[in-house]
Amino acid sequence: MDFFKDIGVLVTNEKYMGMLFEGLGTTLLISVFAALLGLLIGTLVAIVGIAQDSPIMKLPKLICKIYVTIIRGTPMALQLFIMAYTIFAIRGFPKEITAIIAFGINSGAYVSENIRAGILSVDIGQTEAGRALGLNGRTTLIKIVIPQAIKNVIPAIGNELIALIKETSIVSMIGMYDLTQAAKIIGAGNNMASYVVPMTVAACFYLAIVYLLTFVIKIIERRLRASDKR
Amino acid sequence: MISVKNIIKTFEDGVTVLKGVDCHIEKGEVVAIIGPSGSGKSTLLRCMNLLSVPTFGEVWLKDKLLNPVDPYLHTEVIEASNTYKKLVAGGMDGADAIVKIKKEDLLNEKFSAAEGKEYKAILKKLYKDNHIDINVARQKMGMVFQHFNLFNNLTVLDNLTLAPVELKLKSKEEAEKNAMALLKRIGLEDKANVYPSTLSGGQKQRIAIVRALAMDPDVMLFDEPTSALDPEMVGEVLDLMKQLAAEGMTMVIVTHEMGFAREVADKIVFIDEGIIKEQGTPDEIFNHPKDPRLQDFLSKVL
Ligand SMILES: Nc1ncnc2c1ncn2[C@@H]1O[C@H](COP(=O)(O)OP(=O)(O)OP(=O)(O)O)[C@@H](O)[C@H]1O
Ligand SMILES: [Mg+2]
Repeated sequence: MDFFKDIGVLVTNEKYMGMLFEGLGTTLLISVFAALLGLLIGTLVAIVGIAQDSPIMKLPKLICKIYVTIIRGTPMALQLFIMAYTIFAIRGFPKEITAIIAFGINSGAYVSENIRAGILSVDIGQTEAGRALGLNGRTTLIKIVIPQAIKNVIPAIGNELIALIKETSIVSMIGMYDLTQAAKIIGAGNNMASYVVPMTVAACFYLAIVYLLTFVIKIIERRLRASDKR
Repeated sequence: MISVKNIIKTFEDGVTVLKGVDCHIEKGEVVAIIGPSGSGKSTLLRCMNLLSVPTFGEVWLKDKLLNPVDPYLHTEVIEASNTYKKLVAGGMDGADAIVKIKKEDLLNEKFSAAEGKEYKAILKKLYKDNHIDINVARQKMGMVFQHFNLFNNLTVLDNLTLAPVELKLKSKEEAEKNAMALLKRIGLEDKANVYPSTLSGGQKQRIAIVRALAMDPDVMLFDEPTSALDPEMVGEVLDLMKQLAAEGMTMVIVTHEMGFAREVADKIVFIDEGIIKEQGTPDEIFNHPKDPRLQDFLSKVL
């Protein structure tokens, strides 16, 4: 089988593996920082979303609603294009940062919905008990509600992170050199008859990361659950 | 200690659950609130610490007003108004004039500039003299819930120390020492480091009670503290409450435990369809009920 032989050739070729690892670095860089940005935005948006209705909160609530609606209602690729070719179309502006912002903003919209649902799933009695002791709304949220909400949302956030990592593969569309792009270049520039071999190897890289992440999430989940029963 | 005056509570769905309730709790008094399901007992109790905000009326803790009150309907403002003066000059009794103005919303007509200034000064003074931040007031009003509501993410010890430490009422060491003493009192000091999910209902509720006690409250509010318990655990919770009563704690207790109410309460309040139909000593309420709804209620529960 030529296919397996070619894979063997590729994975033992230092230059090709170097290219793939360089691409992997970009993929991880974008994923990690976009995920952090997404969590930050998502948490803020969720907190605004569940805050009590009051005149001061009206505008922030509206903005958050519009943000989530637009981001969830339009394709990621278009969001990335718009960021890259209009908002951040500044000569010399690092593409990594453009991508991190674009994916962070996108991820934030989905994460905010997860966190909102997680916070609402915590029994209202927990909040009432906190408030009845004289704690203010913010302390109650931070010390009591959010720690319990996190437990509920870890699986959903994990799925969101996994989706994010895979979705970053579209950054090659704005000319970035990520794992997918590396595979494309290897496929185009060598004497292996097709793209299939480098693409397969790149896919295995994605698979390995996702598998690892799934494993880590499982461990975190189990850790958090341990505090439930002891 | 607590006075609620003419409380009306209408929920967002338009249902009026409390229809003008007046109730006074003296220092050291144990008051039991009884009545049929859905009559507004919990709502009245929750209005006392503003977990439920009254639509109309006043809630006082000692000499402090807890709830925001429509300023234009405040008695002192009304008395300073020209409308009031006119009515009284026309021969009307002062109290009747206030009722009339509140009822017909006669102050809602615009004020003259001079009047406005005067009212502002009165309101400012009212606010300064009487108002207290609800979060501060709640520190002195312990509450115990039907479903315990222990913080699931914290150990028993942390449940007891969280609020005193967060609110800077005690240092961490002091709070822990105090918490351990409270746990010892209820014989659960060995549970200090476990999470609530491992406890029985009776243990949870006793811990919820001492969590409130850890704030050194002036008054304790109980909303059916034994209703969610298995029968064999009711006794341990009621015993702890009896101890508190004997120590002179001011207590307001919504309960279906008539025997307990009769034994421990100084005053029984019977509420039905959002109105206090009758209140009095246990002897008056249980042995000589006058209100027909109360008689009917007692015949069903006793
Ligand atoms: N948040 C709310 N929104 C709308 N209606 C409510 C709300 N809370 C309570 N009610 C309604 O108000 C009425 C009185 O409720 P409340 O809980 O005060 O009764 P209760 O006397 O404590 O009854 P129970 O003995 O069943 O606990 C009920 O009909 C209830 O459905
Ligand atoms: Mg009730």
